[in-house]
Amino acid sequence: MRVFFEQLINGLTIGSFYGLIALGYSMVYGVLKLINFAHGDFFALGSYLGYTMLVFGSGFLTTHLGLWGGLAVAVIVAALCLALVGVVVERVAYRPIYPAGRLPAVVSALGASIILQNLIMIIWGPRYQAYPAQLIPNFPIHAGGLNLTGLQLLILCVSFALMAVLYFVIQKTTWGAAVRATALDRDTAALMGINFKKVIRFIFTLGPALGALTGVMVGMYYRQISFTMGWNYGLKAFTATILGGIGNLPGAMFGGLILGVLEMLGSAYVSTAWKDVFVFLILILVLIFRPNGLFGEKIAEKV
Amino acid sequence: MKRTVALAGALLLVCALAAFAADTKPPVLIGLQAPITGPWAYEGQMARQATQIAADLINQKGGILGGRQVQIVLEDDAGQPQTSALAATKIGGQKNIVAAVSTYGSSVTEPASNIYEKRRMVNIAYGATAVRLTERGSKYFFRTCSRDDSQAEFFAKAVPLKFGAKRIAIMHDNTAFGKGLAENTRDALKGMVDSGKLQIVYYDAITPGEKDFHVPLTKMRETKPDLWYYTGYYAEAALLVTQAREIGITCPFVGGNAAINAEFVKIAGLPVAKGCFMTNEPLPADLPTPEAREFLKAYKDKFGDIPSSPWPVYAADAVNIIAYAVDKTGSPTDGTALAEYLRSKVNGVPGITGKIGFTDKGDREGVPLFLYVVDDQGNIVISR
Amino acid sequence: MPGHCVPPHLAASRQKAAGLLLVFAALVVFPFFAGDYLVDVAFFFGIYVLLGLSLNIVLGEVGLYDLGHAGFYAIGAYTTAVLNTRFGIPVLVLLPVSALAAGLFAFLVTSPIIHLRGDYLCIVTIGMGEIVRLALINNPLGLTGGPNGVYGIDSPTLGFLRLDSSAGSYALIWVVVGLAVFALFRLQRSRIGRAWNCIREDEIAAQATGINVRAYKLLAFVLGAALAGVAGNLYAVKLMVVSPESFTFWESCLMFSIVLIGGMGSVPGVIIGAAAISLFPEIFRSFASYRLVVFGVVMILMMMFRPGGVWPRRRGGTESRDLLLRLGRPRG
Repeated sequence: MRVFFEQLINGLTIGSFYGLIALGYSMVYGVLKLINFAHGDFFALGSYLGYTMLVFGSGFLTTHLGLWGGLAVAVIVAALCLALVGVVVERVAYRPIYPAGRLPAVVSALGASIILQNLIMIIWGPRYQAYPAQLIPNFPIHAGGLNLTGLQLLILCVSFALMAVLYFVIQKTTWGAAVRATALDRDTAALMGINFKKVIRFIFTLGPALGALTGVMVGMYYRQISFTMGWNYGLKAFTATILGGIGNLPGAMFGGLILGVLEMLGSAYVSTAWKDVFVFLILILVLIFRPNGLFGEKIAEKV
Repeated sequence: MKRTVALAGALLLVCALAAFAADTKPPVLIGLQAPITGPWAYEGQMARQATQIAADLINQKGGILGGRQVQIVLEDDAGQPQTSALAATKIGGQKNIVAAVSTYGSSVTEPASNIYEKRRMVNIAYGATAVRLTERGSKYFFRTCSRDDSQAEFFAKAVPLKFGAKRIAIMHDNTAFGKGLAENTRDALKGMVDSGKLQIVYYDAITPGEKDFHVPLTKMRETKPDLWYYTGYYAEAALLVTQAREIGITCPFVGGNAAINAEFVKIAGLPVAKGCFMTNEPLPADLPTPEAREFLKAYKDKFGDIPSSPWPVYAADAVNIIAYAVDKTGSPTDGTALAEYLRSKVNGVPGITGKIGFTDKGDREGVPLFLYVVDDQGNIVISR
Repeated sequence: MPGHCVPPHLAASRQKAAGLLLVFAALVVFPFFAGDYLVDVAFFFGIYVLLGLSLNIVLGEVGLYDLGHAGFYAIGAYTTAVLNTRFGIPVLVLLPVSALAAGLFAFLVTSPIIHLRGDYLCIVTIGMGEIVRLALINNPLGLTGGPNGVYGIDSPTLGFLRLDSSAGSYALIWVVVGLAVFALFRLQRSRIGRAWNCIREDEIAAQATGINVRAYKLLAFVLGAALAGVAGNLYAVKLMVVSPESFTFWESCLMFSIVLIGGMGSVPGVIIGAAAISLFPEIFRSFASYRLVVFGVVMILMMMFRPGGVWPRRRGGTESRDLLLRLGRPRG
């Protein structure tokens, strides 16, 4: 039982990463119906930028600002850069293609993803990079017979806090309402006075910035980053989005958590080698019985 | 009139240049197939650098066949089977390439070597350890690296005994190399398992490319192993050991020969990496041969540091042995004669990684294996 | 009709015939002039044409988002590989068998999920593709050889004629491509093809007019999978070894891009799209790492300037001309 609880924490940790990335995916997907393949690469780029800043000048930032100060600056700068990158990518690669429909946008997103991933490889090299070990505070915790680490609990708390904040933003603020309304019905939202361009700018700054933040957290937690990490996380995040239900933004976050726990169950109790098969099978079963995802609502289609 | 004179002058100049160029001896071309792009890009790029150094060293000493320079012709196979087939067709189709050094990754090497076999071109792999590559009855395939089963046998003979281990956990990553080595190890341990001397308490695969292994590690911890053998690559190995120590796994960690290198120490950090073991052929830094010292110095001078994995050095040795054999057979175009020579006459030729010889099947002969350990300074040394 | 005046519809079909003859002649003559490397490149071009055409049935004609098509490709390839290496069945005999296996697999796995709405179908197909690949790696029942795959596949033989040279496999695949193109053109003009296009344009209206939407969608998947299975067989035969790396999600994305870049529902478009996808990396070999960046840029530019595809499917033109032909009324 104790082991199960430990595994549950493991599953929730990775699930929270999926959930945070899935939120960025879900926002773009809900509003534009675009599968933003490049989103995973935003996350990877954010991780690399964080790495660069922490390593720059042999830890210049942390020696002058202290550990937490240095981390904070790294995170903020990474998030700002990614917000900029997100807006640029939208403007250059997606906006000209909206009139052409959904499928050309998918291909364009694939192209953007290839470009970003390979640019990361060209700039930082194909080898794995590692966040500096001495920067990260870590201490094992053996409470109640459990084997955890301080960093794990910290990351978990930060991720959950972030999700709570985002939930609040989405459900209770006007910005969030604007995004949800546009995702639900673009034309009516426009008629209600919601500025579509502003919504686009919002989702393409918040989403990538969130991805960057998650990227730095992942970099700190696992310490190892590679230029292909965006692809794996992006696919899982997309799965979480669908699992939660398209257009349901909190659903995407829960979808991520559920996905993390499912992976954990498959890995620990079925077989680690077959865990992804297990997860996809569960996903397919869920969709057979709930075709709109776990939290998706059936929306009548006007014919 | 002026134009005609100018034209004539230009023509004369061109002829003179052509005559001059024709006077110098044409280079001997050796093909190199490597993953320059794709998931193994870091290996492929190091292989390119290593073979370049090998060629440079040969040329500095006067070349082969009476002063002809060795030149490497590179084709990228992107670590993909079908790109590999195309790269092999490209190299194999060029009549003045004498042999190919190809490639890294057993499932990438195989389609390429099928093509080289059909074209009767010698191909020497530097990073393909799957046993079956030399069990196909091929005449033109060789390898300068060792096979999975020799490493597995070494592990079975030496390692559990050294640690007094009775409960072994074997973890792999479902890649051709990692799974192959794990399976061979399990087979090599079968005798001891059957006679009750030890048990394999954990045998499962993690997914490479992922970062979070807490779940499978917790699962492994519950099986209470007293020795842990991981047969995958260093990127996951570094993460695995770090996370394992975090959740309270204290048994010794032994990696296969792709699991521990300088990158591993850097990523895992010294406190975690210290005391990790690995089964490996001799690392270049440990080779006493003068060839190794010369090669490493030249490589370091040009590229800043020595190669961080063993495979590029095998590629360099492949270039060396091809050049040697071409020089001795006297013909840079007869693939069959070259293959015959390599198979039967090459025995104990000095190379960077030790004495080079090939078995009848094309395997590298007699590469010794050692148990390495990461010492307190983070260096990887032979464990005594 | 007076003098030299030829009716436009006859002139057009004469032009088409001349064009086709030219293409045919070029295909036949090509291997005699080009070296083995280029002939092999042309072989893989043919493979991607088949794959693009197979996905085109599902995505182009019916409009179903299928990002897991590499799974069917894998089933075809592995069926050939396993049955040939274990039971010695000749590989050409296994061509229809692989098609059947892939088609049957498609029928079994898509039946429960065929009703899903576009985007949900998309993620399920991604899941299917991944499940196939992961299952192949894990070597269930010792059938698939795990990550090493299955090796030792024979070369195709027609009686005493061995087709294992570059030119031989080239000939084989382009004959198959020719047959497939012919069959697909006929399918497009048939009732099935029209029903598919109707479903793509407006599924609810199609349902309302009495088309059995579910049956037609399933048929599209089965046929698309079967053709992908054929491609798998030929691929296995050419490389003589199959391994799971060739059947990743990335391959499915490439096929998707071929259909989109070429033009959804357009057979000539798909051929051009396949050329772009398969020849591009070869042409730009010397660029090394930048090659893929350029590739991505080209994809975006293509969608920006020709979102309908390089050779979009013409609407209305041919059909109405055919109609008039049948009514026996010359135009002009």
